[in-house]
Amino acid sequence: MTDSEPNTRPPLDGVRVVDFTWIVAGPTCTRLLGDLGAEVIRVENEQTLDSIRFGRPHPNGFDPPDSGAMFNWLDRNKRSITVNARHPDGLDLIKRLIRVSDVVVENYSSRILENWGLSYEEQRAENPQIIYVSLSGFGHSGPQRDYSTWGPTAQALSGLTAMSGLPEAPEPAGWGYSYLDHMAGFTAAAAITAALKHRRDTGQGQWIDLSQVETGMALTGSATLDFTVNGRRYRETGNPPGNRSVWPQAAPHNTYPTAGDDNWIMITCTSDAEWESFCEVSDHPHWRTDRRFATLPARLRHEDELDEQIGSWTAGQDGRALMQRLQAADVPAGVVQNGVDLVVSDPQMKAREWTVTRNHPVIGEHLTDGLQIHFSRTPAHRDRPGPRLGEANHYVFAELLGLSDERIAELQINGALG
Amino acid sequence: MGALDGVSVLDCSEPRGHFAGKLLAGLGADVIKIEPPGGDVGRSYGPFLHDQPGPERSLYWWHYAAGKRSLALDLHSADGIELFLQLTADADVVLETWQPGRGRPFDPIALSEHFPELIVISLTPFGQTGPWRDHAWSDAVGLALGGPMGSTGYDNIPGAPPIRPTEHHASHISGYFAATAACTALYERQDSGLGQHIDIAMHECLGFTIESSAPWALYERHPLIRQAGRHAGPQPTEPWQYPTADGRLINIFGMPRSEASWLALVAFIQERGMGENLSEYELLDGRKRQLGLQQPSVAVMLDDIAEFIAAHEAEEIYAGAQAAGAAWSIIRTPDECLADEHWRARGFFVDVEHEERDLTVTFPGAPYILSETPWTHGRRAPLLGEHTREILCGQLGLSDDEFGALVSAGVAQ
Repeated sequence: MTDSEPNTRPPLDGVRVVDFTWIVAGPTCTRLLGDLGAEVIRVENEQTLDSIRFGRPHPNGFDPPDSGAMFNWLDRNKRSITVNARHPDGLDLIKRLIRVSDVVVENYSSRILENWGLSYEEQRAENPQIIYVSLSGFGHSGPQRDYSTWGPTAQALSGLTAMSGLPEAPEPAGWGYSYLDHMAGFTAAAAITAALKHRRDTGQGQWIDLSQVETGMALTGSATLDFTVNGRRYRETGNPPGNRSVWPQAAPHNTYPTAGDDNWIMITCTSDAEWESFCEVSDHPHWRTDRRFATLPARLRHEDELDEQIGSWTAGQDGRALMQRLQAADVPAGVVQNGVDLVVSDPQMKAREWTVTRNHPVIGEHLTDGLQIHFSRTPAHRDRPGPRLGEANHYVFAELLGLSDERIAELQINGALG
Repeated sequence: MGALDGVSVLDCSEPRGHFAGKLLAGLGADVIKIEPPGGDVGRSYGPFLHDQPGPERSLYWWHYAAGKRSLALDLHSADGIELFLQLTADADVVLETWQPGRGRPFDPIALSEHFPELIVISLTPFGQTGPWRDHAWSDAVGLALGGPMGSTGYDNIPGAPPIRPTEHHASHISGYFAATAACTALYERQDSGLGQHIDIAMHECLGFTIESSAPWALYERHPLIRQAGRHAGPQPTEPWQYPTADGRLINIFGMPRSEASWLALVAFIQERGMGENLSEYELLDGRKRQLGLQQPSVAVMLDDIAEFIAAHEAEEIYAGAQAAGAAWSIIRTPDECLADEHWRARGFFVDVEHEERDLTVTFPGAPYILSETPWTHGRRAPLLGEHTREILCGQLGLSDDEFGALVSAGVAQ
């Protein structure tokens, strides 16, 4: 590359991340950083491996720690070293790594790094410009900092679980996965990239204290304000509302059955124009003149009848064909897709090459999924598979930290590595 | 000082981009929310102050526009777009959300090429390319197509549909990608001196937000079963949500892993005269307590736990289980979160003055605590066009007469 050519390396090229994360929340963050070009070094320990390395499926047979699809999906573009932080020599190595790194990310319970001797103050003593992210359920301050969470725990405590479900059901549906693990990871990535920008301006590092429950509560603005301003408690008005609208109000706004087993289409008419288009496409133009359905307030009052009639019409129709018909009339409609649908039958994902085939030394050929941020000049990447346990030991210990082969062998024998 | 102090953002977003703009404002950027004269459509979203609709009464707007400035300018007019281009010359980031073929007022890629230092973020439902790029969209349709709904629903209600969690989550998910993209591109620009165009498809953001559905689909083409209040899985698993004596629900997913924690939990329950079967010897083996495998030992354990939960109040169970090291939780509604002293102690909820109404309003606050560049809630959401004059006259140097003419012509407000 000559000086006159614009930089086209991935945008976080040159950023090194010491990655103490495990399970899903932390690795979600560092996957994104890795996609954006950061060099992410997972610090692992053979005695306390990330349980995701054992998580199903294992497409080529169960042979952990390197055979798991979940790990390879979530930890692509990363490197792995094996060090024992509880051994003084191991801790020393980690400190030396922090000296030549930019970011430290961890999602352990709130006292673990402190107990190792890697509190923010201790990290800063090694590297005054370090950006340290602690991602825990309750954060590192407050009376309940020692409480523990998983994604579903945090979702329940934040209000998000209660805000998803059928009104007449005895329990909420919540989320069918650890939504807040992903969201906390995304939140951390946003904070880290902001902190990197600030550091390039000022030379100042910082500590980012992230509570997973807080990331969830920050997403409940309208419902929280309805209480703090209007005094209305969430369940007073028949919430959660199933798949009907909250705000903006819309009707129809629901899932309707289509042909086949457990197939559904979401149809939402957010304006009278969309409703009129819908009626024209629906083979039931009289719906438009039916006084029960003529205006949005009327449709909201008669939503049970409206949903029943639409559901009778959609049942038996091919969902994708119906979606195309409604979309041709500019009605917001989409089939409910699961992960397999996204991979196999989604024409939009196909057109944008959301999946590409990659190779892994243990798992073999497989699909990896998309990049979310498409930069015109500095593209992100997804070429490197998830790391085999300890595969970067030589690179990090010898090349980055300058240890001799003899010293590395000694550390292996004395238990600092591995 | 915020991390994005000194960064100027022209935020032309429709509601799907409101959260992205809020994140940038919270990190310290000067976010100018460009609204059409008459007001952003988000001002018509409830809930409303005392349930009375009105452009300055939308609590949705209060939340999502907080910390932004309002410039009411018609970008679909020749004068409006000319003024926008003048502002762009001094801006760092433009955020826009129009679908490519649905009458957008400018071409974001051409804009990016015209201003080489500018970062232009297009946050759209399906991206700039592909057969669905102009498809009609709503947040719920986004969640249906994107994967989250495919994993969410009920196994215990026959015929129940997949469920869409409420509160604009397609916008929340992709808003974080837009904010990360902006910060990353700003960081890169400090080195290269160059901006760029960034294409973000909300559909693709959602596709990376479905946890284990993704590897099961990518590697095995194996769909997961939707289950009430717990993770979808390749096989059915035991319930996690149990009703309490005071009519609430406890989530028991975080069962103790260590023996010490398990014994502490058993002691907590047995001190209250229940949980006789929890002393079963085999339950000392953590593998025999593991949920998700339909083990007989777990069935016995959950029977006792359900009975205990049904006989006690939620707060007592929550505090006792957490003290024992079990990551149990209460399923709270948003209004219930405000009462928890822990969030108060961390300063999560913030009070904001709405001076012209003589009102102090409590908002959910920071999604992250940055030690040196604190997130700020910022000033209360702007009134419609509150900053139009200061931006057009103060920043661009329009005279009072020129400004008055724009207002009369309906170009600015």
